[in-house]
Formats: sequence, structure tokens, C-alpha cells
Amino acid sequence: MRAESLKGHLDALILAVVGAGPLHGYAIIEELKRRSGGALALPEGTVYPALHRLEAAGLLRSSWSDGDGRRRRVYELTRRGQRELRLRRGEWREFAQAIEAVLA
Amino acid sequence: MSPFETGLGRELTEAGISGRLRRRILIELADHLACDPDAVLGDPRALARQFANELGSARARTAALTSFAALALAGTLFAAAFALSPSPAFGAVPAGAPLYGRLATLVAVLGPQIAFVAGGLAALRWLRRRRSGVLAAAEAAMIVRRAALGVGAGIASMASLGTLAIANQRYLPGGWMTFAVVASVVGLGALVAAVPSILAAVALRPVADGPAGDVFDDLGRLAPAALRGHPWWFALAVAGALATIITLAGVAGSDGFDGAIRGIGDALACLLGFATLGRFLGLWGARSEPAMR
Repeated sequence: MRAESLKGHLDALILAVVGAGPLHGYAIIEELKRRSGGALALPEGTVYPALHRLEAAGLLRSSWSDGDGRRRRVYELTRRGQRELRLRRGEWREFAQAIEAVLA
Repeated sequence: MSPFETGLGRELTEAGISGRLRRRILIELADHLACDPDAVLGDPRALARQFANELGSARARTAALTSFAALALAGTLFAAAFALSPSPAFGAVPAGAPLYGRLATLVAVLGPQIAFVAGGLAALRWLRRRRSGVLAAAEAAMIVRRAALGVGAGIASMASLGTLAIANQRYLPGGWMTFAVVASVVGLGALVAAVPSILAAVALRPVADGPAGDVFDDLGRLAPAALRGHPWWFALAVAGALATIITLAGVAGSDGFDGAIRGIGDALACLLGFATLGRFLGLWGARSEPAMR
């Protein structure tokens, strides 16, 4: 899937992945790939600015974690992020149903 | 350190990202490369610019919103103090009032108007662009200027409210003076609390090209179609409307001459404000402003 097709959906995808539990940047990207069966192969660098932006917007919070001898920034959803994820899921289902109804 | 990390570090600095944020980004990307040495993270320059654009835009929006919230609280307190004020507070200054009290009265009359206009414009552009993604460098800078001027004028206004209450205490009821001083302190606290968000937005700005926009980008469809693209005609129309409303209010209050004089004075003040602060506030002349970096 082309990166342009994901524009506008990246925030919701990240929120959905982080919603399952706290993850660091690399793990978020790997989880996106895994859940999409490899179809969502994003330009990896672009996920990090999005993570910072979502944190600045109060949808994610992050903290340092020391594991495997390395410092890592681990992200998790805030309450506001959980509300936003529910909202985005609802919007997506409505949108997908409408498109499916037309295309099918 | 890999060539990618070295290049990214240089480009982050170039994009205006420094200190703890720069270190954090480098650590996160280094961890990514440690997990997958073959990862393709993209062009360091493009990545650094994306960080600056995303975070600079978010900070500009936060500064506008925080400033407006603080100004709304301070403005409410100031308006309450004004509405409850006895005549010597904002009206004719008593003959024996000290000089600093007279100066405070002058600031208390002018400051809130500047704070209202600048803070309101910052909030209006925030409203227009809240879901627009990345802001152009020129537009973000203009939003932050509006927020900074609004908060600066608000701080001066709230400080002057407390000052004039203390300076003229001999002529004012004790209850009002106490209220004015408390309102001044609370308002100042709210406004000072908004300053870090403005400083954060000044420290990191987006680097995207694009125009800052002008008053018509603030008003959108609210601006009459015939006046779009002509900010000075728009300013004249606003000043004319203001003069008419104040004159009619004077006529209704059975002093049409006084109303007309005040209306013309306020219209001229409106045009003077548009001329002196309009460019700074991005109301006119900013359409072709280039990116900062």
C-alpha cells in the first residue's frame, strides 16, 4: 500500500496500536506491519514525528525505559487518546460502510 | 554514531531543534537502528524538517489556545471590575491622583483593547487552522506574535488595574479596591501561566513555505466578497460601521453630537490601530512573507 494512501489515517493507526499497551517506536512500527500482514509498510522515519505530535496534542504520553542496556521512549495512550481512538474507530466504520455500500 | 545519526543531528540543529528534544529524537532513532540496522529511516533533512513542522505547528496552536484561555479569564475579571467601578476609577482622574495612577488609568483603557484584538485574532486563526496539519512558518510566526501581543497587553492591563486601584484608593470604595486588586493578581497569574507556551512556540517553529495569510483568512466567509483582497477597504468599512453604530447610540441617548464625535474618534482609532499594528498582527501585507528558514 502506498504511503499517500495512509495520509490522514496514520494518527488513528498509531493510536490503535498503542491502545493495546505501552510500546516504543520500533515496536509500534513492527506492530503496524504485523497487524496489516505487511501491507502497511510506512516510511519508518515518519512515524516518530507523528508520535511526538500526538504526545504534544495530549493523546499519548511517554516515558524513558531502560531495557536491554538501551534507553527507550515508551508511549502509551492517555484518557484523551482513548476517547480519540473510540471516535476515530467510529468514524472509520461509518466511512468504510459507506464506501463498501457504493463499491460492492 | 552512524552517518544517519550524524546527519540527522546536524539537520535537527539546522531546523531549529536543540537541547533535550534534539537529544531525545536522536536516542529514539538510534534505538530504532539498534533494533534493525538495515532500517530505512529516510533523508535526515526531510525527517528533521518534518519534526520541526509537526511540533512547531502544534506549539503555535497551543500558544494561541492557552493565551486565549488566559485572556478570557483575565478579560472577564477586568470587565467585572470595570462594570462595578465607581466613576473615579476609569473615568475622570481625581485632581490629587499620583502620576503613576494616571499612567495606570491610561494603560487600563488602551491595554484591554489591544489584548482583546490580538488574543481574539490568535484564537480565530487557531480555529481556522486547528485541523490543517502543518502550518507555514510565516503563519505560525504570525499566530505566535498575536498570542504574545495579546498576553503582553493583557499583563499590562491587569497590572494597571491593580495599580490604579491602589494609587486612587483615597477616592475609591474599599470593597471595589479589594476586588480590583484580587482580580488583578488572579488575572496576572493566568496570563503569566500562558507565557511558557508562547516561549515554547518561539523556540521551535515550522520550516514549511507558504503565506501567513491576512484578515480574510481569519474571517473566511464572514468577510464580504466585495472586500476580499482589499484589507484597507475592509478596515474603512469596519471603521465606518463603528462610527455609525456609536453615532446612532448617541442619537438614541438624545446626544447625537456627542455620539458623532465619539463615533468619529473611535473610527479614527480603529484605522490608526489597523495602520500601526495591522502588519505585525498579520491583518494585511503578509501574503507573500517567505519561510523563516
